[in-house]
This record gives sequence, structure tokens and C-alpha cells, in this order.
Amino acid sequence: MKRWRAAKAAAIGAAICASGAFCGAASAAEAFITDQTGDEVSVLDLGLKHVVARIPVLGKPAGIAMARDGRTAYVTSTEGKYVSVIDTASRRIASKIAMPDTPLGIAIDPEGRYLYVAGFYVPRLYKIDLSTSTIVATMEVGASPSGVALTPDGTLIVTADRDDNQISIIEAKTFSRTGTVKVGKHPFGVTIDPQGERVYAANVESNDVSVVDLKTAKLLGTVAVGKRPYAIAVAKGRGFSTDQYGGTVSVFDLSTLQPVKRISVGDYPEGIETSADGNSVYVVNWFSNEVWAINAETLAVTAKMPVGDGPRAFGTFLRETL
Amino acid sequence: MTWNFQKSLLIVTTIAPMALVQHGWAHGPSRQKVTETITIDAPPAKVWAAIANFQDMSWLPGVAKTTGTGGNEPDTAKRQLTLDSGATIDESLYKYDAGEMSYSYRIDTVDVKVLPVNNYSATITVLPADGGKSTVEWRGAFYRGYPNNDPPPELNDEAGIKAVTAIYRKGLENLKQKVEAAK
Repeated sequence: MKRWRAAKAAAIGAAICASGAFCGAASAAEAFITDQTGDEVSVLDLGLKHVVARIPVLGKPAGIAMARDGRTAYVTSTEGKYVSVIDTASRRIASKIAMPDTPLGIAIDPEGRYLYVAGFYVPRLYKIDLSTSTIVATMEVGASPSGVALTPDGTLIVTADRDDNQISIIEAKTFSRTGTVKVGKHPFGVTIDPQGERVYAANVESNDVSVVDLKTAKLLGTVAVGKRPYAIAVAKGRGFSTDQYGGTVSVFDLSTLQPVKRISVGDYPEGIETSADGNSVYVVNWFSNEVWAINAETLAVTAKMPVGDGPRAFGTFLRETL
Repeated sequence: MTWNFQKSLLIVTTIAPMALVQHGWAHGPSRQKVTETITIDAPPAKVWAAIANFQDMSWLPGVAKTTGTGGNEPDTAKRQLTLDSGATIDESLYKYDAGEMSYSYRIDTVDVKVLPVNNYSATITVLPADGGKSTVEWRGAFYRGYPNNDPPPELNDEAGIKAVTAIYRKGLENLKQKVEAAK
């Protein structure tokens, strides 16, 4: 950790506490952070700004999907072949779902009925019925599927097919692929906007973000971001990419697709998600073992919170607790 | 003062043919990280001066020669380290900040028999320490040498961590000696 960063963060923290806006506020949200190196999930209370529980999850956990009601989190272990089902309130692993291949990206439908998991080595998307915890359908997607995302209404699924430099668009109802769209080099994280209209794909090797229109399955544009972008969040009419090598979050305007700002964050930022109220963006820093909060409006860093070792939180990791 | 490039070369050469027949899907690799630091009894500017030239890795034991192009220009500068064993490592600079006394680079090409890692990137930074001293921090992020499942021991996570840690220790200790001797 660089000293100026620590000093800056301390100053920011002091300013927030002095204003009384956040200090001692009732806990309203939590982040479930997959600490891959640490083989655990850290439960970070975003009101208290510190870890309140650590759940051992073996097999180098990486991907996570939070159910919309926040009661269950689903975690993929990249060195295991299973998904851990975590009861978020009791901080316990309720069950494990065996997978035929190394799982990475994971997403859940809005009703919490089906889970979609990407198998990384044998490129497949698996559909799991959560009432029986069994795989009910399997489909082929492009090489090395990484991120998985669903439209808010649950009708469409998107996968980032990393080694084929494309995204696949899949109709959830029929579980069939309706199209593929070429994007930049090595797309990893994919995020769909709250309107369900656009897909944002972070292209690790071409240092840019592809913007795809879901209805027409056409590339709308490409935005240059920092080095080795990993994943994307959208908030306040802007996109936010975590740039692993850059140590930055690149902010761009969603209507003009022009860069707005680069915010210095921790080292190797990876997972990123917007809070339910749309006011904050949480950034998970893999090397420096911290989650940072960014004010989505002012773009100021508002909190810096330590978690376990090697956090990735690839997917959706936030839940409301009130 | 040579580190064990030759030794690891020997070990890995005997293992590699075995690795080819193993191709299960049981375990995928995860990225590893190493951080090593050292305190040097000299002001930061002086320590930075000793490492600031990306085109000069003479302070790292085991490196016989550094050749390259592009100076210290991020996204342009490249260097090739020739080791005492004759093996080479190709690297490129992607971040350079003289004000922060820090630079970041990645390995473009290295034989896993020389260094058992893949997709390696690193940052070296000089920080002020108490009493006018300096702390040098060297951080690396990488995947193990064997990219698929079920790695042989010489190309697993532990082997990668061990090899990178050994280089950082030797490099930092030698840098300390060099800078403090020049006082």
C-alpha cells in the first residue's frame, strides 16, 4: 500500500465521520466477497465498513451470484467442481451443487428459480433448477466462457466467450442461442444495463469496453478504458470498468460513449457492482485486499475497507439487509 | 550470487514430458501473488536512482545482460534479460511514474523451464521509511507454469510462488548491499 493512498483514505474517512452522514448509520447492505487466495467469503457490512463474518469456502472461490431477495448467494470454486449455496443470514453453506467442469461465471434469474453457470474448459452454459439443485439443461457456447449476465426481466442470458472474442445471446425460455456478437479481445466480465437494452463487455486484451444492443444484436460502439479491464458496473448514466493493470476505474458516459475520468483505486481491481440505490459503486481490489466505495455522482472515493486475501467477487455480490 | 535458473531448468526438463500426458479437467488455476519488501539505509531518491532505468537490471543477481528499446516509456519500452545460464526473458513496461518512484512491467516471453509462471506482471516501488530510510516493495501477480489442471509439482502454484519469491529476495538484498555500499 502506498502511503499517500493510506493517508488520503484516512482523511476521507475522517471527513465522512465528521459530517455524520455515514458514521454509525444502521447497516443496510452487505457485500459477499469471494476471497480466492484465502478460500473464504468475507461478509462486509457496508454501513459499519468492516468484515463481520468469514465463511470458509474451499476450492479458490471466484464467481458469485446474489439472489435478488438477498437471501442466498451462489459461489463458484475454480479449483473445485461445485457451486456453494450460501445462506446469507446465517453465514453458512447450505449445500453444494456438483458441476461437470470448472465453474467460473454465474448468474441467477430474477425469480431465483434457475441458476446459470459457465463451465470454463469444456465451453458450456449449465442451467440449474434450484428447486432440485440439478442441472436440467446444457448448451454449447464459445470458448472459455467467463462472465454470465441476465436481463432484469430474466428473458435473455449473455455469456462472454473469452477465447472466441464474442458474446453469446441466449433466450432463457428455450435455452437456445439466438446470436453471437464479435467484441474486443478476450471479453471477461459482461454487464447488462437496468433497462435490459445493452450489454457492456470488458475486453481484457484490447483495453476497451464493447457496447452491444441486445435487441438488434449489434455492436453500438467501443470505449477505450484503462489496462486489462475485468468487469463493468453502470450507475448515473455512466459506465465504470475495473482496470486490473491500470489500478484504476475508468468512467465513461453511456450516451456519448466518451471517457469521463479515471479514478485511482487499489491494486488489480476486479469485481465491481452498483449499490441498489444507484448511488455507490463498489470496487474489489484483488492485490491489495480491499473493497473501495466510489460515489457514482461525484466520483469521489468514499470508503476503503479491508477484506480477506485475493478478493475477486466476479459477479453480483451486494445484498440489502433492511 | 546466481539464483537457481539452472537448477530449475534441470528439474523441469525431466518433468515436462510427463506433464503432456496429464490432461484432466479437475482443477483450474488461480492467480497467485507475491510481495517482498526490504528496508534500505539511504534516501528514496538515491534508491530509486539505482533501479529507475528499466533498461538496466544489473542489480538483479543472475542477470548477465539487459538489452532493450524505448527507454522508460510505458507501452513502448521493452527489454530482454539474458541470464547467466544464457536463457532469456522478454519484458515490457506498462506503467512508469518517476514522481511515485514506481514502475510496472509484464513478462511477454519466458520458458516455464526458466521461470515457472504464466501471465506474469509486477510492480516495483520505492517508499519513504522512518529515519530517512527507504522501503522497496516488489509485487508480482502470475499464474502457475502449468496452465491446465493437475500440474506437475515443478509447475504448480507453490513452485511459481517459490521461484518468484526467491528472485525478489535476491534482488532486493543485492540492491540493499549495492546502495548502502555506495553511501
